[in-house]
Amino acid sequence: MAPKFDSLETGTMLPEMTTEPVTQLHLIKYAGASGDFNPIHTIPEYAKEAGLDGTIIHGMYVMGVMGKMLSDWAGNKNIRKYGVNFKAMTKPGAVLTAGGEIKRKYEDDNGKKLINLKLFVKDETGDVKLDGKAVVECE
Amino acid sequence: MLDMSYQGKEFPPFTYKIEASKIRELCAAIGDDNPIYFDSNAAVKEGYKDTPAPLTYPTQVNFWGYPEIWDRMTEVGIDIKRLLHAKEEYEYFQPVYPGDTITGTVCVDSMRDSTMQMVTFKSTLSRDGETVCIAKMTIVVPPSEGGK
Repeated sequence: MAPKFDSLETGTMLPEMTTEPVTQLHLIKYAGASGDFNPIHTIPEYAKEAGLDGTIIHGMYVMGVMGKMLSDWAGNKNIRKYGVNFKAMTKPGAVLTAGGEIKRKYEDDNGKKLINLKLFVKDETGDVKLDGKAVVECE
Repeated sequence: MLDMSYQGKEFPPFTYKIEASKIRELCAAIGDDNPIYFDSNAAVKEGYKDTPAPLTYPTQVNFWGYPEIWDRMTEVGIDIKRLLHAKEEYEYFQPVYPGDTITGTVCVDSMRDSTMQMVTFKSTLSRDGETVCIAKMTIVVPPSEGGK
């Protein structure tokens, strides 16, 4: 099931999704799942040596949270492009909220019905961690 | 300092086999509980062949399939202790499923060496010779205190 092109309007906000607080255990699991074993995310002493006051959440973890919100709404197989800019470091304990907005509705040269989305992830204080964009093919 | 001769350089290809358990592990780790990633019947009902790989799977393919990426970064002149992930971009052409053998090729797509260093690595992921996804990872290294 793809989003229905005719029923979509630019300016519409996507349903937001909020996580539970992200813990150090989440990051250990994410390291193993993703294969990103940069110890800055999992070993506090190493993170301190690198000049931080503790571990930071993998940027790709936060992109994964945004991706869940996006794919739940649009359907995994309808997403043509998905990209993010990492805006700020995120520390364990953060509660993340992902959301977005329909920015543009158009047909491409092949007659495909597409929408462009603008996406965000912010923490419980409203600090934006991730800016994202996606292109979704509709029916 | 970055070694600018790496601009455009392509590293040797690698292969990575997509596995259902590794898809489940990634989704569980990021809190994506959508049943299409855990139960092939649920996935088929939604029009998939099997449990599809989630949107950020290319990172898993790259880190597990090509852990040498860390050495390549060092080779290029990146201080991996100080790098920051600035951007990640995917273009998807085909869904990817358990059992697929993915061939990945990483190249240095762009490099900039000024006060802030910036390098983009592009991974082209293909299955049976057909590109399924292009992934771009951009990292930056901020200027160190007291200049370079």
